[in-house]
Amino acid sequence: MNKTMKIIQWEVMRNLRNKQFIIGLLITPVIILLFAGVPKILERFDKPVVHKYLVIDEIDILESVSESIPIENLILDRYEGEREEVSAEVTERGFTGYVILPANFWEAGSIEINYKERNQIGERVLQSLLSGYLQQHRMQEFEVDAAELQYLTANVELDLKPLEEAVVPQVNEIIVSAVFLMLIFYLIFSSGSMLMQSSLQERRDRMAEIMLSSVRANQLMSGKIVGQFLLGMMQLFFWIAISIPAVIYFLDFPVMQALAETNLLVIGLFGLFGYLLFSSMFVSMGATMEDMQSAGNSQGLVMLIPLLSMLFLTPVISNPNGVVSRFASIFPITSPFLMVLRNAITQVPVWEIILSFSLLFLSALLVIRLAGKIFRIGMLMYGKTATIGEIFHWLKYKEE
Amino acid sequence: MYGLEVKNVCKTFGSKRVVDKVSFRAEGGQILGFLGPNGAGKTTTIRMIMGIIAADEGEIKYFTDSGQKNGIPSESIGYLPEERGLYKEARVMNVLQFLAGLKNVPRSTVKERAVVWLKRFDLSDYAHAKVEELSKGMLQKVQFVASVLHQPQIIILDEPFSGLDPVSQDMFKAILRDLAQDGAAILLSSHQMNILEELCDRIYLIHEGKEVFNGTLQEVKEKYGNYRVNLTLSRPDGVEKLLSTPIIREYHKINETRYMISLEDGVVPGEFLSSIDKQLPVQELSLARSSLHDIFVRIALGGVENE
Repeated sequence: MNKTMKIIQWEVMRNLRNKQFIIGLLITPVIILLFAGVPKILERFDKPVVHKYLVIDEIDILESVSESIPIENLILDRYEGEREEVSAEVTERGFTGYVILPANFWEAGSIEINYKERNQIGERVLQSLLSGYLQQHRMQEFEVDAAELQYLTANVELDLKPLEEAVVPQVNEIIVSAVFLMLIFYLIFSSGSMLMQSSLQERRDRMAEIMLSSVRANQLMSGKIVGQFLLGMMQLFFWIAISIPAVIYFLDFPVMQALAETNLLVIGLFGLFGYLLFSSMFVSMGATMEDMQSAGNSQGLVMLIPLLSMLFLTPVISNPNGVVSRFASIFPITSPFLMVLRNAITQVPVWEIILSFSLLFLSALLVIRLAGKIFRIGMLMYGKTATIGEIFHWLKYKEE
Repeated sequence: MYGLEVKNVCKTFGSKRVVDKVSFRAEGGQILGFLGPNGAGKTTTIRMIMGIIAADEGEIKYFTDSGQKNGIPSESIGYLPEERGLYKEARVMNVLQFLAGLKNVPRSTVKERAVVWLKRFDLSDYAHAKVEELSKGMLQKVQFVASVLHQPQIIILDEPFSGLDPVSQDMFKAILRDLAQDGAAILLSSHQMNILEELCDRIYLIHEGKEVFNGTLQEVKEKYGNYRVNLTLSRPDGVEKLLSTPIIREYHKINETRYMISLEDGVVPGEFLSSIDKQLPVQELSLARSSLHDIFVRIALGGVENE
């Protein structure tokens, strides 16, 4: 086993033995379930208030109206007692109010609603329902046929036909790509901060010199990057393994079909090289810091670089083939996220994907090389956090 | 015979030359004291030997009976740096296995050797303890074990005694002697001159990146170690004539009757004794070579730079 492999193994095992990691692994799905599931459960308990009205029906249509009410929480109850006592009855039985369907309804077209509290939805439903009865009654008066009326008042129907099949957004592909985007984002941020901490810890625990006397700085750095990548992937696979059955069971979403419809190669390549680009930045910045408090200063800003993609999110979604979207999906800092998103929303020309990936690949190689220099020198500088000026100075050192 | 040879090694950071034509040999079976004031270039030299940073000029060679090669194989060298630590949250045996694994020692062998070493340091009960549970002295012992577990032929120790109590210091000294006796070449950098005097076969003195001295302890004393005299008189009379003779470099008057006198370089005891007036009321007189400590202080203050 070569030395990089030994470091990868050590990084993985060190974290797998770490209680915080295990708790995070198990607790995160629980937290996600809580956030997603609790509102659903609450919704079940939180049934809408039922509004009941007493009805003085002088035109004898209550039975028919009651049957046509389209909502569950509006109940009409016939009142046959004394008119003077109806108000007291409403209070006594805890009803919302009482309604009078007067004998002159067909001519006047109005009803009286006496309420203890307003119930605007119920009032609208009653209004629209009784309007139907009123219109029908009046049509019969004018001897207009119902079919004729429908013909006269019909809405225009829109018949939508796409010219090219591919332009139609594949909903499944967008959903799968969005999920993968979130996972890549999570992987970069969680592994990124772990990496930053890992090199910072190596420095803080004064292990750097001992390690560098046995392995080359590049071996140590790549061992850390790959180790944290594997840990991140373990987390993601664990969570995906839990969530796929849950998604199939609860959401009735065709997971396998959706995966088959998605360009996983593009997602995989852009995700992997995006991870390498950002993680090498993070690990080298960790090597320049003395403690986590320093993460608040300029080095900490490096953590924000992947967030630049957020600035282009709206343009890419609203106009995926515009100049801004095309730039953002080719520029190496934003392309790992935005090419994946754009490719899901629209048909991206193959040459653009190849150009974008080539730029990302070259940038990742360049950043890894520069990060290697910063890492090697930073790890041996004890006792202080390096300034940005010093870091730029290190970059000028010739390769050793 | 194994060993390490450093030949005309130079290193410049920015415009400052921190190591300038440093050359020495550390041979198997010997302990080489590597000393110099803070900022003299010791750590940079050691880091170049370890391959952590590259030398701008010169050669660092590893030699055996069968020949020599450039650079020292990582498996053949053990290193205890001055700035040292261990992964706090890891367990002692796991760290030892990991670090020895990086030197290509099989896991089972590491375990066998680690058990022996931990027992020698009376740390058997801590083999599976977390590093953060160890005291400073225990931690230092574990760090030392980590640097020798792969049985290196060359061992570089930077301030191995700092923070150790006298009992542990004696234990370390005995172990270093044993390792040298078993054939290891040991490069020992320390500011504890008394320990270096006790342990080292040879001394390499460096100041401002340059070699000041390279030789045996006896040679360094002969070259820089002038004689020191402690003189006590029965009454405070007649000492002025003696103190004004040119063979005396300087003196400190401790009280009316006690003096500490430093002779000029090259002045031998007989010369001093013959310059004492027979009438001088000497009550006590002792005469000895300067200690390594005194020589070091003179070098640190620049007193021997151009000698």
